[in-house]
Amino acid sequence: MLKSIPIAGRLRFGNDPVQTFLYMAGGALLLFFAFIAVRNTLTGAYGIDDFLQGIVLGLAQGSIYALIALGYTLVYGVLMMINFAHSEVFMGGAYIGFFAINAFHESGFLAENTLVALLITMAIGMLASVILAVLLERIAYRPLRNAPRLVPLITAIGASITLQQIFLRLFGGGTRSYPVVSLCIGGTLQGTTCEGGIDIMQGRYQVEVFGGEIVIRPLYFVIFFIALILMAALWFFVQRTKVGKAMRAVAEDKNTAALMGVNVDRVIVLTFVLGALMAGAAAVLFALYNRQVSPFMGFTPGVKAFTAAVLGGIGNVPGAMAGGVLLGVIESAAPQMLGLPSQLEDVVAFGVLVLILIFRPTGIFGEVLAKKKA
Amino acid sequence: MSLLEVHDIHTYYGKIHALKGISLTVEKGEIVTLIGGNGAGKTTTLNTISGITPAAEGYIIFEGKDITRAPAHQIVSFGVIQSPEGRKIFTRLTVRENLEMGAFIRKDLAKIARDMEYVFHRFPRLKERINQLGGTLSGGEQQMLAIGRALMASPHLLLLDEPSMGLAPMLVEEIFNVIQYLNGESGTTILLVEQNATKALEIAARGYVLQSGYITHRGTGAELQHDPTIIEAYLGGH
Amino acid sequence: MVRNTTRNFLVVMAVLALLIVPAMAQDEGTVVVEAGDPVVIGVAAVISGEGLAPLGEDIVRGVELALDERGTVTVGDVEFEVTIDVQDDLCSAEGGQAVANYYVSNPQIVGIVGPTCSSACRGAGPILDSAGYIMISASCTNPALAADFVSFNRTAPNDDAQGVEDAIFIYDYLGITKLATIHDGSPYGEGLVTNVAAAFEELGGEVVAQDAVTVGDTDFRSTLNTIAAAGPELIFFGGFPAEAARLAEQRADAGLSEVPFMGADGLYSPELINLGGAAVEGVYMSTPAPAVSDALSEFVAAYEEKYGFAPTAAFHSYSHDAVLMYLDAIEAVGEIDADGNLVIDRAALAEYIANYGAEEPVVGLSGLLSCNGDGECAQGGIGFFQVQDGEIVRLETMSMELE
Repeated sequence: MLKSIPIAGRLRFGNDPVQTFLYMAGGALLLFFAFIAVRNTLTGAYGIDDFLQGIVLGLAQGSIYALIALGYTLVYGVLMMINFAHSEVFMGGAYIGFFAINAFHESGFLAENTLVALLITMAIGMLASVILAVLLERIAYRPLRNAPRLVPLITAIGASITLQQIFLRLFGGGTRSYPVVSLCIGGTLQGTTCEGGIDIMQGRYQVEVFGGEIVIRPLYFVIFFIALILMAALWFFVQRTKVGKAMRAVAEDKNTAALMGVNVDRVIVLTFVLGALMAGAAAVLFALYNRQVSPFMGFTPGVKAFTAAVLGGIGNVPGAMAGGVLLGVIESAAPQMLGLPSQLEDVVAFGVLVLILIFRPTGIFGEVLAKKKA
Repeated sequence: MSLLEVHDIHTYYGKIHALKGISLTVEKGEIVTLIGGNGAGKTTTLNTISGITPAAEGYIIFEGKDITRAPAHQIVSFGVIQSPEGRKIFTRLTVRENLEMGAFIRKDLAKIARDMEYVFHRFPRLKERINQLGGTLSGGEQQMLAIGRALMASPHLLLLDEPSMGLAPMLVEEIFNVIQYLNGESGTTILLVEQNATKALEIAARGYVLQSGYITHRGTGAELQHDPTIIEAYLGGH
Repeated sequence: MVRNTTRNFLVVMAVLALLIVPAMAQDEGTVVVEAGDPVVIGVAAVISGEGLAPLGEDIVRGVELALDERGTVTVGDVEFEVTIDVQDDLCSAEGGQAVANYYVSNPQIVGIVGPTCSSACRGAGPILDSAGYIMISASCTNPALAADFVSFNRTAPNDDAQGVEDAIFIYDYLGITKLATIHDGSPYGEGLVTNVAAAFEELGGEVVAQDAVTVGDTDFRSTLNTIAAAGPELIFFGGFPAEAARLAEQRADAGLSEVPFMGADGLYSPELINLGGAAVEGVYMSTPAPAVSDALSEFVAAYEEKYGFAPTAAFHSYSHDAVLMYLDAIEAVGEIDADGNLVIDRAALAEYIANYGAEEPVVGLSGLLSCNGDGECAQGGIGFFQVQDGEIVRLETMSMELE
């Protein structure tokens, strides 16, 4: 870790006092955090079981952040704009997904064909997000493609509020709950308990580790692996397919890409579609996990995912994935490790962001982008 | 009928009137060159033909089709391929991916593979660096890649914008050899924009001189090479 | 009905109105209702927001039912119709400011029922104070409000009363000695939790963990995980249904499924069960509870008949009583001028409300009303409830009769 931060090479005392101060303050803060973490571990206030519990919780939450972060990073990579309405694309997926799963729940289809119902719900959520994102691009962003960069930023914020309000007016301000879904693998469902198998949605297992006890839900890993598969598919698409290459070409230089015969508008729409597919999937996972949807639900995960994207290096696809998981883990493990109230988890998360940006202003994976700008 | 016929086009950047009535023709199999000082409108002329900065007035006919209002990506599919000024290779794509982007509109996989072999045969340095990112190549290699990428589109008309800019003299020679070769062996029609007017006029069948958005002179390469006003204005230093 | 009017709109309206008001050349300290015009009472309630709208809507319904019972005031021999102007207080300080500005810009507003949330009451307080307006809240239970604002009155018992009762319930009735508290960062939640914790320690219990969550979040597992490490026997939450439902549910993910969960009046709503389902089974809550009476039973029956469902919160009787206080006050201090207009002096109205029932308590729907001169009018007690089989059931043992 330390090796990848060439402190000595970058420190130039006297050259830029602000930079020097930031480095020293950042370093001091890091040492302070490390000291407290070590002290809490040694005094037994913080055990390895707490740490493991934090990691598994963080993996689940972080995978969802990562999926959302991809939408920010893809659009930023291609258009150099921050699509603040992405959090509402996410909300829309969860909300429309609610109507689907609720209908399945009420008709009994959810109980009979749980897996099929869940897959259809996810497909509907993804579709809803895609429709919102495509409309957003067409109505709010494309007409302003050549406007100064601040203009689409303002439109994005406006679009975000507009979408919230539309959902609020259409479906009311109340909060809605996804049904409790049990998916029993390898056994039979008796009431709410899964006899002889694993309930991958609702199952909870007390696991003894290092003298402590933690609660593991198979759902954490289901979320993590679905996110991993989706991200791998996206990675393959962007890296290996012809359209993916065109997308990267458009990201770098729209005019030259057009000179290669690439329909730039279509690639930009595709970028929004890919981001929305990830956000829609994340939304349904999020709603199955936390069971609550409302018109305003996008804000917090949206801000966190945007943070994750910056953390990983905005515009960088693997960066968004790593940033999301990292942020999730830090958020759930760090406050307890540092003995802080978990009310401060956001402070800790954004503190880490500040620290990382001091040492790597372009984010963890932001090397290439930095070179290009230099 | 000419392969390309540009008739009295006017192009604006915002309020700047960049092209003030440019007319030119390119015949099949020719090398035609556009010369002129900085800001004369050479690159704008190419970008207008390519559909990047569409003309406000006038029309452009290519192979009998009116392409004046066609979007850039469609003009490419008609076979008008531009290798832009400053090379503009994709720095974050590998050499192979850059060449694949050149062939973006083509579907004949076997022929694409053959053309890529041809590019590597022509520029062996590119083959050595096939999996390197474009941004890591030297200036000369990048220019080779840019030309190679344009060839991958199997152009009916190749628009070359300043292919020798910023290159060492030996590489300039090599680039001009390639251009002549392309024209001679493969019969590719080329519209060449060059700062290096002497070299350009040597290999061009015909040339146009641009100044402040107007065409001030036209003629065969030889005529322009020996026109005293041209020599004074554009060839004097060389 | 006016719903969710945006804050900006309100501010613009308020500014416009402020420009117009002086031109109307009306004495600021009086309300003049022309003969034939209705008397207008403002109703500030939260009618949007996650899990909050059912609370505010309950307040509005209490007001509507009060006016169904008694829809006019008679001063001298002249009868005036009474109407309401409902605005959304957004359950926030900004929302409270916006509605207060809206109301003070309208000289026809006699007074305000509401706002709903302590944060909104706090936002509205300074504006109403300087304008000489008064509010009677049915649900702002943060204790400091009464002392801080002259304009503030309430018909519900404050959190001091509720916090102490809650601590006694937890310590004595449930026999809990190790308490963890969580609040949602609102003045209501934080104030309540502070009171409960202090009273609980005074009784001899130990507060083993204190934490807070952010409104709008849905994943509280790491918070609960931290709390679990302290080994609490009960988790007390100061907040509202949306976060409470998730906290109660995610207890299981932190190995706390056997640890009881409790809240206060903020949770007393079917919304908690809608959102939490089986996960909120067994959750305890306290709420300012009117004594059981025939009048109240009739009122709830009327509520169910008019709206087609059971009350969505516990505030309807308090907002009902707030309206009656206004109507009594208008009839007591209102005068008919030479033109036959109703003239109400704001200072006299405030004075009357501040001492409403001080000498002899008035029987209201929520219990006896007797204001202490400082805005505290409730004499009613606290009731304790538990979610049992998806219903909020009153625990008889602890229900306190008022006398």
